[in-house]
Amino acid sequence: MKRAEPGLEEEEINESRLEELKRRFRRGALMVVLVIMAVAMLFPFFWMLWVALKEEGHAFTFDFSWAKPLFSNFASVWKNPDYPFGKFFLNSLVVATAGGAVTALMCSMGAYVFAKKDFAGKEPLFWTLLATMMVPGMVYLVPQFALVSTFRWVNTYQGMFVPHLASVWGLFLLRQYMETLPDSVIEQAKIDGAGDWRIFFTFVVPLSMPAIATVFLITFLFHWNNFLWQLVVNTPDSPLLTLPVGLALFRGQYTTEWTKLMAASAFSIVPIAIIFGFAQRFFIQGMTVGALKE
Amino acid sequence: MVSYVFLLPFLIVFGIFLAYPIFYSMWLSVNRVSWTTDLFNCFTTMKFVGFGNYLELLQDPRFWWSLLMTFYYAALCIPFSVLGSLLLAVVMNQKLQGVKFFRTAYFLPNVLDMLVVGIIWVFIYSPHYGILDRFLSSLGITYFSQTGILGNPRTAMLGVAFAVVLKGLGFGMILFLAAIQNIPTSVYEAADIDGANAGQKFWLITLPLVKPIVLFLSITGMIQALNAFAEFFAMTSGRPYAVVGGVTQGMTRVTGYYLFENWQTMRYGYTAAISFVLLLVTLGISYANARALRTR
Repeated sequence: MKRAEPGLEEEEINESRLEELKRRFRRGALMVVLVIMAVAMLFPFFWMLWVALKEEGHAFTFDFSWAKPLFSNFASVWKNPDYPFGKFFLNSLVVATAGGAVTALMCSMGAYVFAKKDFAGKEPLFWTLLATMMVPGMVYLVPQFALVSTFRWVNTYQGMFVPHLASVWGLFLLRQYMETLPDSVIEQAKIDGAGDWRIFFTFVVPLSMPAIATVFLITFLFHWNNFLWQLVVNTPDSPLLTLPVGLALFRGQYTTEWTKLMAASAFSIVPIAIIFGFAQRFFIQGMTVGALKE
Repeated sequence: MVSYVFLLPFLIVFGIFLAYPIFYSMWLSVNRVSWTTDLFNCFTTMKFVGFGNYLELLQDPRFWWSLLMTFYYAALCIPFSVLGSLLLAVVMNQKLQGVKFFRTAYFLPNVLDMLVVGIIWVFIYSPHYGILDRFLSSLGITYFSQTGILGNPRTAMLGVAFAVVLKGLGFGMILFLAAIQNIPTSVYEAADIDGANAGQKFWLITLPLVKPIVLFLSITGMIQALNAFAEFFAMTSGRPYAVVGGVTQGMTRVTGYYLFENWQTMRYGYTAAISFVLLLVTLGISYANARALRTR
C-alpha cells in the first residue's frame, strides 16, 4: 500500500477512497439483487431441464446417473405411441406458422390502405376495429366454438388458427409503421405506372419488414401458447393435437412420471427460448408497443 | 375501389369470427342446449329461455365466489408485479455490467407457455418431495409437507400468484425502464444541487413520472385476471375445496375457470351469459381507466 502524503491531503485521499469503497459496495449489492432475481426467474426452467435428463423414479433426488442415455426421456416422449410429442410438435409448428404468416399478410394489406389510401368510411371503420380490442377473449369462446363445430372444423388445422387470424393489434402496429414510409417513393412509382399491387409488394412490404416480422413472431407465439382454444376445438382422440393439449392429456395419464413430463415440457419451451434469443428485439418491441405509445 | 380489395381478406375473417360472434353470443346467452337432441348438432336446436340464464347466474353462489376469487387473484398479482418490476427497473438503470444479459433473462419467461410454466411449478411445489418443501423442511417449516402449498386452502391462490408474478416481471420492467430513461438527467442534477438524497429523488421525481405505467400495468393485470385460465388449469383445477357459507367452493376457482367448467358440461347458453358479465366488468374497468387518465 502506498503511503499517503501527510496533512490535509491525507484526509482528502482517505475520504475519496472511502467514497470509492462505498460506491463499489453499492454496485456489488445491486449486482447481487440482479443475480438473485435472475436465478429466481430462470430456476424453474433449469430445474425442468435437469429433471428431464434424469432417470425414471429419480425425479426428486439430487443424485445423477450417467448409466442411461442422456436424452432417453426426450426420445421416449417424442416417439410415445399414445402421446407422440414429435407429432404434437409438428402440429404446433403448422398451426403457429400458418397463423403467423396469414395474419402478417392480411394485416399488411389492410394496414397499407389504412396508412396510404383514402376511401369512404376509413376512419369510422378503423375505430370500430380498434373498439373490438376491448372485448375479453373469453366472450368469443362459445360462439367461435359454435361456428367451428357448424363448419365441421373440429379436429382440423384451420379450426385452430382461422378464427384468430384477424388481429386488430397487428393491423394497428403495421398501420403506425407504414404511415412513416415516405410518400414520395409511392408517388414516383405511380408516375412510373405501377399499380397498387406492385407498389405494395415491391415497396411497402420490403420497407416494412421489421414491423411485419414483429407481427409474424408475436402471432406465432400467440398460437404456439394458445392452450384453451386448442383444447376446445380438439377432441382427445384428434390426430392433430398440439403441444400444450398433448401435454395436458399426457399429464392426466402419467401424473407421477415427472422425468418424462419435464422432457415433454421442454419441447414447448426450448424452441421458443432459442427464437427469443435471436429475435428478442422484435418480441420486446411487439409486446410493449401498446404501453409505450402513451 | 382497390382499397376495399386489399381490406377484404381481413374484413371477411373479422366479420365471421370477431364481429358476428359478439351478437351470436348474445343470442346463445338467452338460449339453452336441449338435451333431447343430437349432441353434435346442439347449436341449431337450442331452446329459447329469455333471461333465464342471467337470472340463474344472479342466484349462483359459485359464480359470485368465482368473481370474488378473480378480484382476490388480481389483488395479489398487481401490487407485487408493479413493485417487483419497478424495483428491477430502478436497479437495471444503475449502469451495471451485464445489463443486456439480465434484460434478456428477465423478459424470457414472458414468452413461454403459461400451461408449461404452471406444470413446472406444480413439480416445484410438490408436497414432501418437491424442492421447495424440502428447502422449507430443512429450515424447520413443515406446515406444507402434508398438503403442499397448492393443496392448502389458505395458500393455494398465493402459490399460483407467486408463479405468475415471477413469470411476468420482465414485462413491467421494460416499461418502467423506458419511462425512467425518458426522464431528463437535468431533473436529477437539479435535485442534486438542492441536496436531495436517493430516496427523495425516487419518491418525488421517479415515482410521479412513472405513474402512467403503474396505471397501465394495473389495467392489463385486471384484464389478465378476468381472462385467467391456463395457470389454474395447470396448477389447481380450481381446487382445493372448502365450505364457505354452506356451499362447497373452489378456493382457486376464478371466473375464467368456472366458465370453462360450464363449457365442459355443455351448458353453452350459461357459459355465454357468464362471458357477458366478464365483458361488462371489463368495460367498467376501461371506463374507470379513461376517467383516471382524463383527471390526471
